[in-house]
Amino acid sequence: MGDGSRVRLSAVGCRHGRRTVVDDVHLDIEPGQRVALTGTNGSGKTTLLRAVIGLHQAATGVIEVGGHRAATAADWARRRKDTAWIPQRQAAGRFPLLAEELLESSGAPVEANDAATQLGVGKLRARPLDTLSGGQLQRMYLARAMGCIAAGAGLLLADEPTAALDFDGQADAARLLTSLPVTVLVVTHDRVVVDACERVLEMAAGRLREVT
Amino acid sequence: MTSWTEFWQLLELPAVQWAGLALVLGAVGLPIVGVIIIGLDIMPVRFAMMHVALLGIAIGLLVGIDPLLCAIVACGLSGAALTPLARTPSGLSGAMGLLMSLAIAAALLVLSISGVNAAGAFELLWGSILATRPGDVLLLGVLAVVIPGLFFLRRKQMALLLHDRELAACSGVRVERLTLILLVLVAVAVAGAIRLTGALLVDALTLLPALAARRLAHSLRAMVGWAVGIGVTVNLAGFALALMFDLPPGPVLVLVAGVVAIAAHVVPRHAVA
Repeated sequence: MGDGSRVRLSAVGCRHGRRTVVDDVHLDIEPGQRVALTGTNGSGKTTLLRAVIGLHQAATGVIEVGGHRAATAADWARRRKDTAWIPQRQAAGRFPLLAEELLESSGAPVEANDAATQLGVGKLRARPLDTLSGGQLQRMYLARAMGCIAAGAGLLLADEPTAALDFDGQADAARLLTSLPVTVLVVTHDRVVVDACERVLEMAAGRLREVT
Repeated sequence: MTSWTEFWQLLELPAVQWAGLALVLGAVGLPIVGVIIIGLDIMPVRFAMMHVALLGIAIGLLVGIDPLLCAIVACGLSGAALTPLARTPSGLSGAMGLLMSLAIAAALLVLSISGVNAAGAFELLWGSILATRPGDVLLLGVLAVVIPGLFFLRRKQMALLLHDRELAACSGVRVERLTLILLVLVAVAVAGAIRLTGALLVDALTLLPALAARRLAHSLRAMVGWAVGIGVTVNLAGFALALMFDLPPGPVLVLVAGVVAIAAHVVPRHAVA
């Protein structure tokens, strides 16, 4: 175990309208541990991740990252600063944003730019995001997450971060994700990423169970 | 067509000078408001604000406070009240229709109670650029400083918010507060511009330069630059044409801005990339 934030979820429940999508989830992740979260579509994985950073409000339970709970706007701002986030569907075009502006939003533009170069998308920095392919966009978000970690985030939440990548890209991303000195919780269907994690969890119908 | 001598004589008239100054000042701030309107996906905001302004006027007439001041305040408050609806992607555009219906219903009810003829209240909304007063120019001057100033100070946060609200939230942007500020600013600017220029001209000053800029630019900063540049050019050229051919300035300005917006969409994208 290395650096990184401890994550504790206790009796967490989330709803979409009246439908319960996350049900009584208990989870304790040690600092620096790399955890893969698998499960069928619609089993509640994305909602659980979004609840950790407050993009979906948990209806019940307690979520702690680095020993801190979030209640006020300032708490959530701190939680989001302490957490690097790779969303499942990267927004690409509602309004123009340059790739370099995305990298800069990490809080550590130099490191995010270096990561973009490592991931083979460094030369695309001046391009608007809506002109990038799905794989290039995913690499750009991955580079942004590296920047967030360089800026002090102790937890990486990644939601299917290799789904749009080719085979080589998946292997590179898996290596990168699991070599980071932070706690990692990654939703994935990618066998390479699962194999690179120390711990595998499965969600089914909103309930969480330990696989390995 | 007006001769050059007559044209220069027209330019010496105080009403024409005030109108020209108002159009230049308007072109600095209002196209940026147009960019924000497109970014927040609230195109029907003009119609919503017209109805809310009418409600403000009705309340002003009922209680005996300056109706136009009440209109601006009502628009600002309704803009602020819309903020929570920005949390869902379609929340704001749908809310505009609801706001429009509720505001006009409430306005007619208040007008009925106050015993004022509805047509009389509507007349307060129809401004004319040639009837611009020094107070109107002052309001446009304030907007010409506040709007570009806010953009300059918050351009990075605004670029993230208008691109993706969740990305902005995860990047440390106080999305609720910034959305509130933008909505109030849009509401007040649109309400003020309707009063100054008439409902017809508002699109020429706000949305049309921004629509052309949306096509020509690939970043928020470039969009704002194009929108202001197009706004200043269109306003000066349109106003000059109206004076030269002795035509009403409002429709000429809208047509010139519309032609520029269409031309921007005809230009192949790679030619401006």
